[in-house]
Amino acid sequence: MSERRPRVDLSSAVGAVASGMATILKQVFRRDVTEPYPHVIVPPPPRSHIGRHRLNRHENGLEKCIGCELCAFACPADAIWVEGAENDPEHPVSPGERYAKDYQINYLRCIMCGLCVEACPTRALTLTSYYELSFTSREEAIWTKEQLLEPPPPLGTDPVDREG
Amino acid sequence: MSREPVTLTIDGREITVPAGTLVIRAAERLGIEIPRFCDHPFLAPAGACRQCYVEIEGQAKLVTSCTTRVAPDMAVRTQVTSELVRRAQAANLEFLLLNHPLDCPVCDRGGECPLQDQALAFGPGESRYIEPKRTYRKPIPLSPLVNLDRERCVLCARCTRFCDEISGDRFIELYDRGAGERVSIAAGEDFRSPFSGNTIQICPVGALTATPYRFVARPFDLSSTDSTCAHCAAGCAIRVDVRRGKVVRVLARDDVEVNDAWICDKGRFAFAAPDRPERVTTPLVRARGLEPASFQEVLGEIAARCRGGRVGILVGGRLADEDAYALSKLARTVLGTNDLDHRRAFHGGRAELLAAARPMSVTYRDVEEAAAILVVGLDAEQELPILHLRIRKAARRGARVFVLHARRTRLHDLGEHLLVRPGHEAFALERIREALAAGGDGPEARIAAALAEAGERAVVLAGPRLAEHPLAADVALGLAERVGARFALCARRAGDRGALRAGVHPTLLPGGRRVTDDVERGQVEAVWGPIPAEPGRDAMGILRAAAGRELDVLYLVGVDPLRDLPDPALARRALANAGYTVIQGLELGELEPYADAFLPAAAAAERDGRVTTWEGRPRPLRAARAPLGLSRPDWEIFVGLAEALGADLGLGSLEAIRAEAEPLLAPREVPVRSSAWGAAGPPQWIEERVLFTYPLLVDEGRLLEGATELKAALEEEPFAEIHREDAEALGVADGGWVRVRTSAGDAVVRARVGETVAPGAVFVPFNQPGLPVAELLAGRFTVGVHLEPAAEPAAEEVA
Repeated sequence: MSERRPRVDLSSAVGAVASGMATILKQVFRRDVTEPYPHVIVPPPPRSHIGRHRLNRHENGLEKCIGCELCAFACPADAIWVEGAENDPEHPVSPGERYAKDYQINYLRCIMCGLCVEACPTRALTLTSYYELSFTSREEAIWTKEQLLEPPPPLGTDPVDREG
Repeated sequence: MSREPVTLTIDGREITVPAGTLVIRAAERLGIEIPRFCDHPFLAPAGACRQCYVEIEGQAKLVTSCTTRVAPDMAVRTQVTSELVRRAQAANLEFLLLNHPLDCPVCDRGGECPLQDQALAFGPGESRYIEPKRTYRKPIPLSPLVNLDRERCVLCARCTRFCDEISGDRFIELYDRGAGERVSIAAGEDFRSPFSGNTIQICPVGALTATPYRFVARPFDLSSTDSTCAHCAAGCAIRVDVRRGKVVRVLARDDVEVNDAWICDKGRFAFAAPDRPERVTTPLVRARGLEPASFQEVLGEIAARCRGGRVGILVGGRLADEDAYALSKLARTVLGTNDLDHRRAFHGGRAELLAAARPMSVTYRDVEEAAAILVVGLDAEQELPILHLRIRKAARRGARVFVLHARRTRLHDLGEHLLVRPGHEAFALERIREALAAGGDGPEARIAAALAEAGERAVVLAGPRLAEHPLAADVALGLAERVGARFALCARRAGDRGALRAGVHPTLLPGGRRVTDDVERGQVEAVWGPIPAEPGRDAMGILRAAAGRELDVLYLVGVDPLRDLPDPALARRALANAGYTVIQGLELGELEPYADAFLPAAAAAERDGRVTTWEGRPRPLRAARAPLGLSRPDWEIFVGLAEALGADLGLGSLEAIRAEAEPLLAPREVPVRSSAWGAAGPPQWIEERVLFTYPLLVDEGRLLEGATELKAALEEEPFAEIHREDAEALGVADGGWVRVRTSAGDAVVRARVGETVAPGAVFVPFNQPGLPVAELLAGRFTVGVHLEPAAEPAAEEVA
């Protein structure tokens, strides 16, 4: 069985090697794309919704959330717990009859799919771009209504600070 | 109308149904779902919502299938095959939604709403209506339990028809016409019906909602368990909805043999008691105080006291059938005593023996199909509410209803009442029996004639009032046998009939076998082993024995003798003098200072088992959640106690208990004349004024604790109901204050004067807030009474 050697065109081989080396050289002198997080924090694009949830308020301070639980129903990971209650007409928490007495999101379960945001009939629940979610205990991974009502802190803040 | 079956076609498919069937029902049998709102299988057809249009060949216009009855060779086309019907249904949905607020996210019905579901399945998807919607004030309370949101109402009239046709409590009605038509209630009136919750359940939208369930959960939050209501012996099929280990709602399930589709408000709303902080879920034993301990320690301690000691056992009305059987066996074979009793009052007659031996002598269906019904000594609405609804259903179908009772009952609009003084029922029954032969034209003669005419379609229902008087129930039974009527001795509490059948009774063993009869006792001994032959003490006898220091151990299972039995002074002495007091139940309450040991029992919603209805029908209990803490089903505790005493009951599981009990509880014949048993002498003709009492549906009972809205809606302030003649003789005014004095104590309550109670009798409800009537009783639920007008008591003295 005779082995047929491929014919090599010397000039094209040299060209290929040169172009490969040129790519390497270009990359060697290019600016680094790795972000040195957490020493430098690059702000995410302005309209990105990649981070934790936020419960919004109306301009008059009332909560937009009416405790309807549609977010909990939409959630494929069963990460949301809502308990409704009746508003005190004198001191309403939200407009209308119903408000959320309790609202919790378990970030060990949440998969950041955003279906809850789509389900929300009052735009009470939105995603922010605050992605610094790290926990040292299971309890800490469950965010309460008070925490979710707060605007997220600037990125890079010590995660322990949000407890306050 | 001929009863021949009718054959018709629906969407080209042929079906044969009984004549008179509605087209919508015939379609259901073919599996064709026609959308509907007003139609309800247990209510009369109304044709109010216009949603169930179908096309019938040969008819120019569409017809509503819920009001059209089948006819031979009728050819029906539903939305499945007819584009016209499809368009009409979509248009009707668009119309119903014109003024519907679409506030589904805040509506309690959201997620389980027939309007949502059918709008999705059959609706047009979009509305062309852009004008402002009609608005009303958001929910107006019809009662502390029921809220009405008129914006959401589609005017199907299910709620008002329920009140007209089923409960007869016609509080709500459709007012006005056209766009202004709405459900309403008279100004200042409360929807004070013990069946009001049913209107919430049958509302096809969120117009009627329940206050206790307001904004509490969504359907997908709930885990639901089919079970049986254990509040009374009606045995209603219910669904228990649990959210995260807490019962948040109870719904009625359909069961044509028992509760149709209804339950009373007590069954629906009184579910919070097991979650109260007062509940004790750990075994306790008295050391320096009552201290938590393990079951093993506490049972060991109790066993040490029981070994060789004299034990008396009192039982409440809460035990499931298996518990009762295990306890009956434990008492007889391990503790060696017949001193156990579940009763609050004491028949000791043949009627009771029959109730123990033969279940299902009368069923709900018998009541419904009866031609004449005699209710004796039973306030059905307050004591067995679903039986009350069946009696009403029978009356609407033409049955003649007679009530022989000391107080007018809610059957007054459908039945004839014969008010007799408590204790004199037997005399009235005797007069009816005499009138069977002699005739006449008084009320007794009318009852006699109606019963005799109905023959075997007559039903005699004897209630707890007859238990007071040794022979009264037997007289009623004798009357029933004389005319060939069906007879039932109706137990009130969920555990009563099961406990009687299982032999939680001083003289009866399982299946109504008498302890004193060697043959009958031998039948049980063949399964159980030796049983003491001498009859035991009844509940009051056990208390007297304990008071006289004749008992080493007083074992109280789900009963509070200070509240439930008619002699609290004796109960106090008994608790103080008993050698050792064991409490088994959900909580200690006022018994805490007397308890030497406490065994935590599981609530009805936390365990499997069976309860027996007043008919004798076993009904399943299913655990809707795990028992709280260390609490256990009662039967497990009894088995554990037997083990601690070194005995094996052989009852290791519910199945084992049922398998052993089944042959013993099989229906058996009872000798016509029961010897040595019962006859405690004839009832006495009482001349003096008597106070009588029985519990109303909603009172201060333990299982009603925590049902705030229910109590606000239905609980009454204490009152004394006095006949007008007596009131005039005494100078007591309606609404004025009256002092009620008996040999045991006295109280000042408001008087209600009228003709709703027998002359010479005074009714005070058993356990209303601020007035534990038991304190006025001296061993029976009737007691001689002295009345006098009183001044309004000072605030803290108010009863």
